[in-house]
Amino acid sequence: MAALIEIASPAAASRPRKGAGGRWGWLLLPAVVLLAVLFLVPLGLMAWRSVTEPAPGAGNYSWFFTSDVALATLVRTLAVGAVVTLVTLLLSYPYAYLMTVAGVRARIWLTLLVLLPFWTSLMVRTFAWVVLLQDNGVVNQLLGTVGLGPLQLIRTPTGVVIGMSQVLMPFMVLPLYAVMSGIDRRLLDAAQGMGARPAVAFWRVFVPLSLPGVGAGALTVFITSLGFYVTPALLGSPDQALISQQIFTQVNGLLAWGRGGAMGVVLLAVTLVLLGLVGVVLRITRTRGGAR
Amino acid sequence: MPGISRKIIGCTAAAGALLLTLTGCAGTGPAAANVDLGSGPARAGKVKKGALDGVTLSFASYGGIYQDGQETAAVKPFAAESGAKVLSDGPTDYTKVKAQVDAKNVTWDVVDTDTLWAERQCGKLLMPLDSKIVDASKLPKGMESKCSVPAMSYGVVLMYDKKKFGNNPPKGWADFLDTAKYPGKRAIPGIASDASPGALEAALLADGVAPGQLYPLDVDRALKKLTSVRSSLVFWDTGARSQQLLESGEVSMAMVWSGRAYSAVKNGAHFAPQWNQFLPVSDSLAVPVGAKNPKASMALINYYLGATEQAKLTELTSYSPINTDAKPKLDKLASQYLTTTPERQAQALKVDMSWWAKNQEQIIQKWSDWLAR
Repeated sequence: MAALIEIASPAAASRPRKGAGGRWGWLLLPAVVLLAVLFLVPLGLMAWRSVTEPAPGAGNYSWFFTSDVALATLVRTLAVGAVVTLVTLLLSYPYAYLMTVAGVRARIWLTLLVLLPFWTSLMVRTFAWVVLLQDNGVVNQLLGTVGLGPLQLIRTPTGVVIGMSQVLMPFMVLPLYAVMSGIDRRLLDAAQGMGARPAVAFWRVFVPLSLPGVGAGALTVFITSLGFYVTPALLGSPDQALISQQIFTQVNGLLAWGRGGAMGVVLLAVTLVLLGLVGVVLRITRTRGGAR
Repeated sequence: MPGISRKIIGCTAAAGALLLTLTGCAGTGPAAANVDLGSGPARAGKVKKGALDGVTLSFASYGGIYQDGQETAAVKPFAAESGAKVLSDGPTDYTKVKAQVDAKNVTWDVVDTDTLWAERQCGKLLMPLDSKIVDASKLPKGMESKCSVPAMSYGVVLMYDKKKFGNNPPKGWADFLDTAKYPGKRAIPGIASDASPGALEAALLADGVAPGQLYPLDVDRALKKLTSVRSSLVFWDTGARSQQLLESGEVSMAMVWSGRAYSAVKNGAHFAPQWNQFLPVSDSLAVPVGAKNPKASMALINYYLGATEQAKLTELTSYSPINTDAKPKLDKLASQYLTTTPERQAQALKVDMSWWAKNQEQIIQKWSDWLAR
C-alpha cells in the first residue's frame, strides 16, 4: 500500500541521497531493457511508419493538419481531458482530505472504496455505466420518479466525462492523499494561533502545501485520459469521437498505418509540449514564491 | 521486391522454389507440398478421408454463437474426416491479417471477414481460391468471388415499432427517414471504422432517388440528407448494442442486421420487420497470402460450403445458408428471418457490391469524418 502511494506520487517521494544512484543504478537495468524493447522500439516503428507509409515524406502529417475533422478531434480530446482532470480534482480533493482526518477503520474503508476500481476490469465498469446512464436506465428512472428526467446522459460528452472521471479518480486521490498525509497539521494550528480564521489557515497554508499532490494527480489523470478508447466508445456518440477512436478507424478500418502512426506521433508531441509548458509554469511560480 | 529474393535464398533447397515463394515458404511442413486431395472435380462438403493427416490449420472468425456454430457444423466434422487438426482463433482483426502477411508469418489459414473487405484485399492480403479445390457451383447466384466464398448470408433490415406503426407500417427506407410521418428516434449503424451498404442507400431513397438509379452513390447528397435528420438518429456500433436498442424500445425504427432483429424479437421486442428493400449482406471465408498450406485451407473452405454443413450452421446461428441445396429445420419465427429464400430475394434491394468494394476506402473516410462532426 505504502509502495503504491509512493509510486503514484513521484512528487512526494523523498529524493535519494547523492551517490546512491551510482551504487544501485544497475537495479534499473531490467526496467530500462523492458521499456526499450517493449515501448521505445514499437514507438520508433510507429514514428517510422508515419513518414514512410504509404510513401516516404510528410504526407500523413499534412493530411492530419489539413483535415478539419482530425484537428477538431484533437482539440476535443484535449478539452475532454481537461474537464475530466478538473472533475476528478474537485471530487478527489475533499475525499483525500477526509482520508487524512478519518480514523483508522474509516480510512481503510475509504482506501478500499477508491481502490476497488483498480480490481475491476475497465470493460465491466464501463458497461455498468452504460446500464446506469442509458435512456431508460437506473439513473433516468430515479430522475423520473422525482420528476427531473429523463435526461440524455449516454451518447453525450457528459456521459463520457462521468465514466472517465470515475475510472481515473484513484490516480488523483492517491497522490493527493500521499502529499496531504505528509503535511504537518501543527502549521495550521500555528496559523490559527497567529489569528487566522480556520478557512484562511486552510486556504493559505494547507492548500499551497498540497499543490505537489494536485500537480502529480492532475498530470497523471490528464495524460491517461488522452489515450482513452473503450469508455468514450461505449458512453459517447460517434460525433463526440476522441482521437483514439479516430486512430482505430485509420489503423483497423482503413489499414492506413502511416496515418494512424502520424496521429499517434502528433498526440505524443502535443502531450510533451503541454508537459513542458506545465514545467515552465511550475518553475516560474516556484521562483516567484521563493522571491516573496 | 527485396523480400522475395531473400525468400528464394531461403528456399533454394526446395525444388519448386518459385511456388514456395508464392506461398510464403513459411514453416512448410512435409505435408504442405504434397497434400493429396484426391482426383476428380471438387464437391462442396466433401474431403478425401485422411487426406490431411498430420496437417494443422487455424481458423479465425468472430467468436460468439456464430463461430461456435461454424465449428460444430463444419470445422470439427472436417477435422474428423480429413485428419487435420484445426485450431480456432479470433476475433478476426484486419490489422492482424496485415501484420501476419507483412511479416510473412501467417498463422491464420482460413479467415472469416467482411465481404467487401475480402473483395478489396483480393490479390493483396488474400489469395485467389483454386476452383479445382473449392466447389462454388451451389452458391446462390451472384455470390461467387475470386478470393473468397460467402460464409453465410443475412440482411440489413428495417425494424419498426409494432405498437406505434402497426396500423400503418413504413413501406421502405423513404418512410424510415420520414420523421414527420413516423415520429421517433431511428437507430442506424454508426461504426466509424466501417462503412457498408445501408445508411447511404436509405438516405438517397428518402431523398427521392429511384432504387434502380442508386449507383454510383452520391455520397455527399446522402450525407446531406442524413444531416437533415441527424437529431433523430441514434448510432449503434455493435450488434449487441443494436439489439439492446430494439429490446429497450429506445427507438421507434431501426436499421439492423437481421440476425440481431431475430434475436430481439425472440426476446420479446415489440418490433416487426419490413423486408421490402432490405440489403443482403454476407461474411466471407478467405485464405491470407502466405498461408502455410493453401490447399488444406481451401479444402476446409470447400467442406464448409456443403449442403448439410450449411443447413446445420443455419440451425445453430439463424444466419441463412449459402448452399442452395441446404434444407435447415427451423421454427416459424426463425424461418421468417431467412434471407436467401426466393421470396426474400425478390424483396431485396439491388446492391452494387463491386462499386462498394472499389470505393469503400474513400467512403469510410467520409463517413467517419461525417460521424465525428
